[in-house]
Amino acid sequence: MSAVIEARNLSRWYGNVLGISEITLDIEPGITALLGPNGAGKSTFMKIITGQLKANIGQVRIFGQPVWNNRHIFRRLGFCPESDAFYEELDGLEFLTGLLSLYGYDRKECLDRANRALELVELKDASRRPIRSYSRGMRQRIKIAQTIAHDPEILILDEPLSGLDPLGKRRIIRLIKEFRDAGKTVVVSSHVLPEVEALTSEIILIHNGKILARGDIHFIRELLDSHPHMIRIKSPQYRELARLLAPEEYVLNITFEPEASAVVFETHHRDRFFNRLNELVLDPGLDLEEITSPDDNLQAVFDYLVGR
Amino acid sequence: MAEVREKGYHHWEGQLQDKGRAFWPITRTGIKLAFQRKRFKFLFALSMMPAITFAVGVYISERLEDFKFMAQGAERTLQVNPGFFRTYLSLDFIFFMILLLMALGGAGLIADDFRHKAIQLYFARPLTRLDYLLGKAGVVMFFVGLLTLVPALILFLLKLLFSGSFKFFLDYPWLPLSIVIYSAFLMIFFTCYVLLASSVSKNRNYVIALIFAVYYFSEIARGIFYVIFRSPYSILLSIPGNLQQVAAAVFQVKPVQAVPWYLSFLVLSVFCLLSIFFLRRKLRGVEVIR
Repeated sequence: MSAVIEARNLSRWYGNVLGISEITLDIEPGITALLGPNGAGKSTFMKIITGQLKANIGQVRIFGQPVWNNRHIFRRLGFCPESDAFYEELDGLEFLTGLLSLYGYDRKECLDRANRALELVELKDASRRPIRSYSRGMRQRIKIAQTIAHDPEILILDEPLSGLDPLGKRRIIRLIKEFRDAGKTVVVSSHVLPEVEALTSEIILIHNGKILARGDIHFIRELLDSHPHMIRIKSPQYRELARLLAPEEYVLNITFEPEASAVVFETHHRDRFFNRLNELVLDPGLDLEEITSPDDNLQAVFDYLVGR
Repeated sequence: MAEVREKGYHHWEGQLQDKGRAFWPITRTGIKLAFQRKRFKFLFALSMMPAITFAVGVYISERLEDFKFMAQGAERTLQVNPGFFRTYLSLDFIFFMILLLMALGGAGLIADDFRHKAIQLYFARPLTRLDYLLGKAGVVMFFVGLLTLVPALILFLLKLLFSGSFKFFLDYPWLPLSIVIYSAFLMIFFTCYVLLASSVSKNRNYVIALIFAVYYFSEIARGIFYVIFRSPYSILLSIPGNLQQVAAAVFQVKPVQAVPWYLSFLVLSVFCLLSIFFLRRKLRGVEVIR
């Protein structure tokens, strides 16, 4: 499959602050996820490929054409920014028709396309309500509607799942997968690993403005499994719990937090650990108040990958 | 590829409008949003009061005999000549209403886009920064034009209509052009002024305060400098003062102060150029660092 987006040695800095550094990659049709913690450089990369920022060094080409100052490319590209970018006083239909008219469509075509996009994101019933009355999920969907209304071939979605409830997330994930099935190229950014897993297996890990890893998400997961997991359990009987779990071979380390009545375990085998914990919980007299994984987040993944 | 088309692509065979009109949807939306505000409609109606009063004045000037009982001693004031149009177009109340309308309908033009980060929605579309600025400028120009150019031309036509002859036109054939030139100057100046203010902050209220503060502070500064130096050139510090000086030159009447008009024109033009320069810089920096 040939690359739709080609980035070559892209670097961009803001004064002394580095946005991205020497990013070279090809993105093919399908869903590609840009994964990285806040400030990693995802938004900078997205702004460069949507032509809003010029790279200080390097070039990005879409369909073989340079992006910067190339208005023709923007007809084939849809961008969904992370932030709410609305005219609150307008209703959903007016908002979409207004943006569609910037492409030069006549009024009837704008209306047709806006209605079709609203139907796709299941907002047809709310199309005449002012955007200020929309819920978080509806706002996210209207943003996606403006991204797809002109039938772009490439969709750039910046954190499309942030702030959504589980139902809202499922809706958006289904929608994004439909775009993929329709043959579009979708680039999604996120800083939440499980969200990305639900969307695609093709990920690009960005950290400190550089590409840290690229490829199948299962490979990344394997890397994680070879890294000890931390499990923090809060319980009035935290010492007793530690005594019961300490003999297990997969428990590598135990740290007490007496002031919080908690104990932190480190283990290579999370599944075996939790199986044993389930057995223990069935014993009367052992109360667990809270179980958390302090390192089950993207920052921990990156810390591990960069060897911190 | 055939499969892809069946699944979702919608192919349109229509003709896209040429790129020269790319700014128009932005202008249209801006005007529409302004009129959606209830207070704006009321103020807009109120801003038409001077035009109506002047129209009555034009009518009375042609019927002085009939209105002698109430127009005694006001014959000079009711004389319709280039000075009459200069007075209308440089009336303090007109300037005040322009500021007031722009505070409501223009302050958020760019500020709101910055606040909501909507600029990225514009520039992810086939739209240049110039298109964007022209679109926003169109909103201010539209309203300033409705308060200046349109009423002034209507007053001119009313004068011809009420007098029943073309004598007035033959006496001052250049007057329609003066009206157009000065109104266009006002439109350009206030557009630069309002857009500059709107681009300074993301907070619309702050922009509104700035629009009024700079305008009236310039007038206060003029007063202070005049008291200290007793120089007529202090008028160059005042926005309304400079506008009135230019108006006097365009309508060929005696200026407020004995200061060459081109100096006032220069001051306002430099202000406009600096505004454009600043606006372009502001729009270039659409960057978010998180």
